[in-house]
Amino acid sequence: MIENLIDGPLWYFSLAVFVIGVVWRLGSIIFASRKQDLSVARGAAGPAAIKTVFSRFVPHKEIVSQITVPFVAGYMFHLGLFALLFFAAPHVAFLEENLLGFGWTPMPHWAFIVASQLAFLGLIMLWVRRMVNPVSRLISTWDDHVAAILTFVVMLTGCFALLEGSTGLRLLHRFSVELWLIYFPFSALMHTFTFIPSRAFTGAWFGRRGIDA
Amino acid sequence: MCLALLPFQVFSQDKKPEPGVFMKDPGSELWRQVRQRDMEGVGISQVRGVDSGVLINARGDQWARFRMTQLSTYGGFAIAGIFAIVILFYVVRGSVPVEGGLSGRMVKRFTDYERVVHWTLAIVFLFLAITGLILLLGRPVLLPLFGKEVFSLMASASKEGHNLFGPLFLVSLIMMLISFVRRNIYEKGDMTWLLKGGGLIGDGHASGGFFNMGEKTWYWMVILIGLVIAVSGLILVSPSLGQGRVIMELSHIVHSIGALVLMTVSVGHMYLGSIGSEGALEGMKTGYVDINWADAHHDRWGKVCHEQDLIISAEEYARSQGQKPGADKMETAEQSK
Amino acid sequence: MARMKFFCDAERCIECNACVTACKNEHEVPWGVNRRRVVTIKDGEQGERSLSVACMHCSDAPCATVCPVDCFYTTGDGIVLHDKDICIGCGYCFYACPFGAPQFPEDAAFASRGKMDKCTFCAGGPEDDHTSDEYKKYGRNRLSEGKLPLCAEMCATKALLAGDADVVADIYRKRIINRGSSAFNWGVNDLNLGG
Ligand code: HEM
Ligand code: HEM
Repeated sequence: MIENLIDGPLWYFSLAVFVIGVVWRLGSIIFASRKQDLSVARGAAGPAAIKTVFSRFVPHKEIVSQITVPFVAGYMFHLGLFALLFFAAPHVAFLEENLLGFGWTPMPHWAFIVASQLAFLGLIMLWVRRMVNPVSRLISTWDDHVAAILTFVVMLTGCFALLEGSTGLRLLHRFSVELWLIYFPFSALMHTFTFIPSRAFTGAWFGRRGIDA
Repeated sequence: MCLALLPFQVFSQDKKPEPGVFMKDPGSELWRQVRQRDMEGVGISQVRGVDSGVLINARGDQWARFRMTQLSTYGGFAIAGIFAIVILFYVVRGSVPVEGGLSGRMVKRFTDYERVVHWTLAIVFLFLAITGLILLLGRPVLLPLFGKEVFSLMASASKEGHNLFGPLFLVSLIMMLISFVRRNIYEKGDMTWLLKGGGLIGDGHASGGFFNMGEKTWYWMVILIGLVIAVSGLILVSPSLGQGRVIMELSHIVHSIGALVLMTVSVGHMYLGSIGSEGALEGMKTGYVDINWADAHHDRWGKVCHEQDLIISAEEYARSQGQKPGADKMETAEQSK
Repeated sequence: MARMKFFCDAERCIECNACVTACKNEHEVPWGVNRRRVVTIKDGEQGERSLSVACMHCSDAPCATVCPVDCFYTTGDGIVLHDKDICIGCGYCFYACPFGAPQFPEDAAFASRGKMDKCTFCAGGPEDDHTSDEYKKYGRNRLSEGKLPLCAEMCATKALLAGDADVVADIYRKRIINRGSSAFNWGVNDLNLGG
């Protein structure tokens, strides 16, 4: 009963919410009308926009020592999560069967485990720092916490289901993924996509003004 | 080598007086070999694999009986017992207040990084403790409650979770080792702390440096027993390294006894770090502690703070926590709008 | 009710490994799993003997004692079986078993063990007899067809005996009587006749 719901309608519903929500939010950001910049351009906006999208992957030298934990843990978490999301054997198989119809070479099992260990340690450290650093805690909204915890739950249920031996644990993982997908478009999780237009916008704005940052 | 020995062998064979007929009972000889009491005389098998030549591993049953009768029983009682003791202690003594109350003037104790390391270690440890206990005590305690099907899911999840988080414990342990070791070297004066019973027994004050004797001992227990747990755990978690069953059984015994000791003591630590001692948790939460708390529990370090003028006022502290001076609670409600 | 037992006559086993092969083939066990193996002791020396060993279906099985999820059960015929739907692949039965009977699908480093697999005395598992589910998890269920384990049936020298313990014991006793009490009739063993 509940198996059919989670594997069937709820899955398509959450997928639809995710896709439509993401497209709608990205569209509303990109096509939002902005006030025209009437100032005389001192530099080119385009190249600066592209440059900023990438240059912001590296923090400024001056502050690295103050943000070591979020910097290192952040990369551990995001790279680990990306790797296991798209290259773990069960995920590749799932995407091939349920969504895409084609697959690719998954990473070996040990790499899957190491990637998830990096992701777990990174996420735990990021969340702990969010709680113990007064500034981070102050600027964290409940949305940030829900997003972090929901992502953690998805990862944890996935870890619980690693034996791939029972329907119950697989359904638990899939159900938490569905909740995550539904929450995604309306939350801080959107930064997965919005970091690009956001950086590009800042870059373009700076570029036009001739600011090199 | 063999060739070199050959002449001697021939020589000695010539010399040795031979018994007329010498024979052992072939039947009992065979079964003595099979039984492999002394773990020698391992046979060979076409089936390749670790220990595939061992016909009978008598230690297996010993190990199983140890786990099922001693380990799970005494382990269960140890965990239940420490909770009972802590609760009893709380009922009797309550939260130990800071003498003279909290002053509101604070002193920096732990950096962000140190707090991140502590809580990461604590989260990973507690996760491992819960999943490990489900494996050890689930059959007598949880299985009758939930039934086989549901408990099997819990145990499977615990096992996978435990195996995945295990190495993270080692990583956070090493971070803890590096960032806390300097302040945990035993020094003069630590003995008096012990003689006074750490200030928990009686009313006398126990002297302590940045960390007192009790905390240092807890630190070294975590590090040393933790390393033993981690190494034995890694042996258990990688069955394909080529280690035999006997090594696995020994690792399991070392791992679970170490884990039980650390879990038991950690309950005491968590109690003292939170409700047991007023003002202690502040340090791990915000990084700052009340100067009166420092004077009471870590007088030698407190003295240094006084001398070097490291104390900040309540207003400065509030500002460091992003609060308006004087405001008690953070205005998160306003923030989140 | 019958008590099913294996017995391997060391004086007859010639280490041909037919039992191992037959078992693998009959049950199509996964890669890396051998429910039965032949062990030779004193290989190439005087007194060399071989024994075929698998799960011995103990009356008081250590695997069942130690299993954290209690997945073992003993059938009315005294056969020790386990439920793969309950098994979590922790490996404790493998540590506890004196005979090394529990097997785990081979996996790379860091991988957790899969679910345990072992000799079923060709009696399948808890699933309904002869279902494809049962076959996939536990292999052929020969016992319910009135057949004995294939390894023993295949044994060319009849070294490996399987069946009701009383019958097996009877056969073996007759063999012993035929061999007589003299150690020489056991074949050349640890003998040194001097000179
Ligand atoms: C969740 C409950 C816990 C609480 C409330 C807690 C609280 C604390 C506090 C307040 C301190 C600092 C004491 C001081 O300022 O002198 C501390 C230190 C420490 N804690 Fe915890 N802790 C908890 C769990 C754990 C766990 C599970 C572990 C590891 C297994 C752990 C390991 C340590 C270590 C190693 C220290 C440093 C002691 C030293 O360096 O001497 N804690 N804890
Ligand atoms: C490096 C860290 C660790 C590793 C690699 C590790 C690994 C393991 C492994 C492989 C097992 C065997 C069970 C299974 O396969 O699932 C196990 C059992 C267990 N571990 Fe750990 N572990 C680690 C840390 C800890 C810690 C910190 C604790 C406790 C605080 C703990 C408590 C236990 C307990 C209680 C058992 C169950 C023993 C039993 O069921 O008989 N482990 N661990």
